[in-house]
Amino acid sequence: MMKQFSGAVLLYCTALVLAPFFMGVILKVKAFFGGKKGPSLAIRYQTLAKLLRKGSVYSRSTTFIFKLGPLVSLAASLTGLAFLPVAGQNPVFSFQGDIVFIWYLFGLARFFTVTAALDTASPFEGMGAAREVFFGFLAEATIFLVFLQFALLSGQYSLASFLAGSKAINISSQAGFLLVLIIPAIFFVMLTENARVPVDDPATHLELTMIHEVMILDHSGPDLAIIEAGVFARMLFYATFIANLLLPRGYGLGTQILLFSLLVLLLYIGIGVLESITARLKMDQVPKFILTSFALAFFAIILSLEVTP
Amino acid sequence: MTYPYIFLLVVTGGIVPLFLLHHFRLMRLSGVAGIGTGCFIGFVCSLTDLLANTARTMSWEWLGLLPLSFRIDILSAFFLIPIFLIGLAATLYSYHYLDDKDKRIRVSVHYFFLSLLIISMALVVMADSMISFVLSWEIMSVASAALILYNYDEKANRRAAYRYFIFSQGGGLFVIAAFGLLFNNSGDFSLVAAEGLPQGTRLVIFLLALIGFGSKAGIMPLHAWLPYAHPAAPSHVSALMSGVMIKIGIYGILRMYLCLSPDANTVGPLLIILGAVSGTLGVVYALGQHDLKRLLAYHSVENIGIILIGIGVGILGIAAQRPFIALFGLTGGLLHVWNHALFKSLLFMGAGNVLHAAGTVNINRLGGLMKNMQNTGILFLVGSLAICGLPPFNGFISEFFIYIAGFNGAGAGLDPMPFLYIILAVLSLAVIGGLAVACFTKVVGVVFLGEPRTNAAGSAHESGWAMIMPMICIGITCLAIGLFPGFFSMPAVTVSRSIIGQGAPDIMAILSFCRSISLGGAGFLLFLGLLICMHRLFYRNKQVAYAPTWGCGFTRPTAKMQYTSTSFGRSIVQFYQPVTQVTEEYKEIKSLFPSPSAYRSHMVDRMDDWGDRYVGSSVEGLCKRLRFIQHGFIQFYIAYIVIAVIVLLLYQLVR
Repeated sequence: MMKQFSGAVLLYCTALVLAPFFMGVILKVKAFFGGKKGPSLAIRYQTLAKLLRKGSVYSRSTTFIFKLGPLVSLAASLTGLAFLPVAGQNPVFSFQGDIVFIWYLFGLARFFTVTAALDTASPFEGMGAAREVFFGFLAEATIFLVFLQFALLSGQYSLASFLAGSKAINISSQAGFLLVLIIPAIFFVMLTENARVPVDDPATHLELTMIHEVMILDHSGPDLAIIEAGVFARMLFYATFIANLLLPRGYGLGTQILLFSLLVLLLYIGIGVLESITARLKMDQVPKFILTSFALAFFAIILSLEVTP
Repeated sequence: MTYPYIFLLVVTGGIVPLFLLHHFRLMRLSGVAGIGTGCFIGFVCSLTDLLANTARTMSWEWLGLLPLSFRIDILSAFFLIPIFLIGLAATLYSYHYLDDKDKRIRVSVHYFFLSLLIISMALVVMADSMISFVLSWEIMSVASAALILYNYDEKANRRAAYRYFIFSQGGGLFVIAAFGLLFNNSGDFSLVAAEGLPQGTRLVIFLLALIGFGSKAGIMPLHAWLPYAHPAAPSHVSALMSGVMIKIGIYGILRMYLCLSPDANTVGPLLIILGAVSGTLGVVYALGQHDLKRLLAYHSVENIGIILIGIGVGILGIAAQRPFIALFGLTGGLLHVWNHALFKSLLFMGAGNVLHAAGTVNINRLGGLMKNMQNTGILFLVGSLAICGLPPFNGFISEFFIYIAGFNGAGAGLDPMPFLYIILAVLSLAVIGGLAVACFTKVVGVVFLGEPRTNAAGSAHESGWAMIMPMICIGITCLAIGLFPGFFSMPAVTVSRSIIGQGAPDIMAILSFCRSISLGGAGFLLFLGLLICMHRLFYRNKQVAYAPTWGCGFTRPTAKMQYTSTSFGRSIVQFYQPVTQVTEEYKEIKSLFPSPSAYRSHMVDRMDDWGDRYVGSSVEGLCKRLRFIQHGFIQFYIAYIVIAVIVLLLYQLVR
């Protein structure tokens, strides 16, 4: 029992430490497609260290909400990650219904990120905030539909029962063909929630077209580092989620972890490739993009009505 | 039997101010003391009744033919708690809120009707017979309509009260119709389990009652009085009406369900659909509002939707013989009754502070209030987080229970139809949650954060202690329920177990979930605390500078350039296009030397609009045609009565 718990904590910490590395992979891939050498893979660690060394400039318009925003956001990501099985192993914490708890914590994080943006009185940040809440609620609908599907398949409703153990929902399990529809749906949600192309472009130069980046324009120094760390953790959360669904089962622990890391790496590379070869959507197309994921999940539910006993 | 004395105390608190018109402070004090003490004792009594879990009856036979009898069972006690608690908070709040000496006559009259409203609400939930129920129900409607008329000098407010009156009287007619049908079939005035009724009749009676009670609760097509009445009423009255009075409608629905036990396979899905529509559209319409109190009124519709979804899922669980689903659904719905009473009154009181300080509740004219009104700002933030259902506050707990019921239903191998209703329930909750976050980030961000948009907002001041104190108590309760749900959800669990009856799961089923949430919430707070400490550490000996917000290259920003409530909610409101409609007036800037320009937008509540256009106008046409009956000659009116009595007597003879 104790051994299992300490193993889970170890996996959790390793995942956290590696999160910035994976984000660096995306940059490397994009640089490769641009015919450039690109920054080193450790670039994200260097960014974090640089930001932590600095001081901050605060806007005179802001209140304590502005400082609280990044902290709540990171705390939500850290808590959420503790409930997520890594490499098909049991997570640090788990209880029935933790899916609701985690996603509502993410909702709390969104609440504070958005209000922190509005706290600066900047029209640009308000614009990003309005888009964030709009796209966020659409993505939430998809993810809860996916969870209903998982609850239907497994008869349980915690992340651990979905993704870890012998009865985990997996591409190789009996109802695995449903995942062909569900994994793209989750992938779309991942792109939305983490502000990636084609929903949002983290590398764009025009504030008018941003969503996430524009909300954090006024944050600087360690505050910005905390936001970045939260973003890395959130991205890893979704990548881990999908990798667990794809992970082949029945190997030894070491092989499993290795395979799992490879899958996560592949997902990040996939995102890098996607960002290199596609442009972002026009803003009014984004809801359609997210609703596509909803439709996919809905089809999966309809199909599964036939599958389940 | 302490309740009659409590009512006497409350009424005294309502009547004494009428005789103290020339001592303004003493008048308010006497009103607050009388009603407040009465509410406090009432709260303690109902709490003991709730914990004792036994039914008690009391009756007065002095009307001879029509006995007035009252009975307190656990369901009544459950609803008495918010009545007295929020009654107490609202009364305390009124002491500093109504401090305009020129309006002393209406302040004293207000205390009279406030006491009447609190008592009548308590009597409704205690009523044991149809007669006492309808009598208290009508007093409640009249008292609340009189309270809406507090600012009667404005035409809009008079119209709002009139509108409310139409809805409450129309709803009352449906309730009376349902009771009449029930009496006709069962032969006595009792509201306890009716026996020997055919299934079809039960359903018809229930549906009639649902329309009647639904118009009080604000279920979606019948919500059209709420957005008018709440902005018109004083804020603490809005808090009491929105937090408690509309729940009396929910009480009515539950009581009728218990009395009739209509076909659960029909009622469950019906309630889920009504709840999903009210919940989703309520929050969408809220998003399009500029008036803070109107926005909160629409959120009441949303939360009634959540309560209905919970109760609907519970009844669905009863129908499918899954006591686990039934327990969690009902508990979620019932606990949300308490939770909504708490955070909605907190929010309305916050809106009252804003109105008191800045003179307006138009969101687009406010901004930056957090700096001058930090207490109000933080308390409003707490209320916002709670109403969005975010952990670790109380709104999350009740929604969590409903989710658990839903996910359990998904995994329990239900038939396809119930499963589809479960999907509808869970998805509506998710969408409502997301949209509520959108709506309250808008309110908090535009009203309390950023820069003031007008001078009035810039020079706002914090409110008096009598307004802040009740809010602090309610805010702490919201957090306490969120952190220790096991303790606070016990009464709701007991009530739902009594509704389910035989085969209800053990209380432990819910307690283990509560413990998990407590631990999860504690874990999150631990992470947050650690991060705050680290944050301190990172900024030690660092240079921190203060500057204007970065304008992305633009150097002369004004407060008017900030995102407004209108622009923030615009894209979501447009997304719901067929049921929402935004009308705009825009004077464009054209020539080289342009004249002043203006932009005005208004969101049309299509449900309300359609109701007015199709139902309202046809009823009005009918009434106009029947106007010849109302000619003002009293002798003819007496003749009507005599003729009606004769016809009824003849009918009895012939039958």
